[in-house]
Amino acid sequence: MDLSAFAPAFDKQVDTILSWLSDNAGFLFDGARLVLEGLFNGILWLVNLPPFYVVAILAGLAVWRLMGLKFGILAALAMVFCAGMGLWPETMSTLALVIAASVIALAIGLPLGVAAGLMPGLDRALAPALDLIQTMPPYIYLLPSIALLGFGPATALVATVIVAMPPAIRLTSLGIRMTPNEFIELAQALGTGRMQTFFKIRLPFAVPSIMAGVNQSLMMAFGMVVIAGIVGSGGLGETIYGAIRKLDIARSIDASIAIVILTMVLDRLTQSMAAAAQKAEE
Amino acid sequence: MQFSPGAFIAPAVDWLNTNFHPFFTALARVIETVLGGIEVALLIVPPPGVIAVVTVAALATLGWRVAVLSFCCLGFCLLADLWTASMQTVALVVVAVAIAVAIAFPLGILAARRRRFEAALRPVLDIMQTVPPWVYLIPAVMIFSLGRVPAIIATIVYGIPPMLRLTTLAFRGVPNDLKELGQAIGAKPRTILFKIELPAARPTLRVGLNQCILLSLAMVVLAGLVGAGGLGAEVTRGLTRMEMGLGLRAGLAVVAVAVLLDRLSSAALQRERAVKAG
Repeated sequence: MDLSAFAPAFDKQVDTILSWLSDNAGFLFDGARLVLEGLFNGILWLVNLPPFYVVAILAGLAVWRLMGLKFGILAALAMVFCAGMGLWPETMSTLALVIAASVIALAIGLPLGVAAGLMPGLDRALAPALDLIQTMPPYIYLLPSIALLGFGPATALVATVIVAMPPAIRLTSLGIRMTPNEFIELAQALGTGRMQTFFKIRLPFAVPSIMAGVNQSLMMAFGMVVIAGIVGSGGLGETIYGAIRKLDIARSIDASIAIVILTMVLDRLTQSMAAAAQKAEE
Repeated sequence: MQFSPGAFIAPAVDWLNTNFHPFFTALARVIETVLGGIEVALLIVPPPGVIAVVTVAALATLGWRVAVLSFCCLGFCLLADLWTASMQTVALVVVAVAIAVAIAFPLGILAARRRRFEAALRPVLDIMQTVPPWVYLIPAVMIFSLGRVPAIIATIVYGIPPMLRLTTLAFRGVPNDLKELGQAIGAKPRTILFKIELPAARPTLRVGLNQCILLSLAMVVLAGLVGAGGLGAEVTRGLTRMEMGLGLRAGLAVVAVAVLLDRLSSAALQRERAVKAG
């Protein structure tokens, strides 16, 4: 057997399969692409609707409610800073990508996590898959999606959803499983139905853990969205990628500062939401 | 209203580059030499030799499952015609992890001993772990331009926080009575550290090491974007030139390397536990 023939044969096979897929199942991928881009464009339109100072003030108010006045003012100023650097459209486009990806990831991850929390068998079956997803470097998830969906935000979304899903599934399932047994027994003793037990007892207990999962998903999504600049996702990631290729140091610094600001604001927001949920429980 | 902090920082970087040029070049040369050495060591032996050595070593110490897995992973790298790139990636990860551990380990112990230091360190670590990996590459590229050196520096910085956190956690978790026992029998602080605390902290330390390795690998692959070479460069080439065959092969080789490094390090962890329990 000639080992050196494997690589070219593999490449050829991949090309054949891909062209077969785009010939025969092209409508499927085009459809998926349309849906994803529609979602992204909708959210983008929504976040671009108010002028930058309104978004900054809203962010500031949200942070103020959850974390106090000092952080609220800081967050609002930081958002204005992004606009001042002339990176507002890019920042909003990154935000729209993160929101779109997190929404999809949570829409899949939360129900799956709940199911895994209720069924230990499913949890055991999912564990190796989640392990594998989390072991691999996020960068490579761009490959299959760019092959099937082409250049653009849809590819970035798919890769981001893959990366952002595991923490949501894991922490939701953990939260559901951690319900103290005496409360479940209490519910049974009172003769509550299954649905009631779930919504009135299991879910409230799981909320802090689920919120932690939302926070982690969001952060994973952020890391990936920025990397996805290379496949033409638009936004700050692409700005940095372009600036690095041109060795335009000043612009890449500006864009990184904007990314750090956006990440910190969203992270602190969701973290304090998780903390608030925890507190409410106690 | 338009301003650009970058426009102020860029001249500062230029100034650094002109005035500390010899220092940065020397640093870059040291890193290049070490990396080159490891790469040569990995590549001088023919691929089947390396595969055989790793498989036999895994068989002897970690059991046949890990051995079979190592054989398959390395075999795939060779089969996919990406042996050199894979070994470059492994060399980058090994050097980065070694340096990150060398920095994070003492700092982690210090943080476990001194509350103040830990309190000062915590916000810095929080920020470091929130910032997306991409951002780490930029300052490194500014000073060291493109290539392996900025890649490894970004990787080291990226790998430090998890190792540091888990080191602190590990040493905090050492039971107090064990330490007191050491003091009671008059052991020197050094002896207590190496003979009592380190063995007790070992399981958590291994988890930290495993995390550090996987995060470093992710960063090294990403650093293909800034010309770090290795598998990351092949993935980038596949992505940007739409050569999907090459891209997928490189992607699968990355998976092979990731699984290999993950399993080897966590099998070593399990073995540690088994030995302790037995």
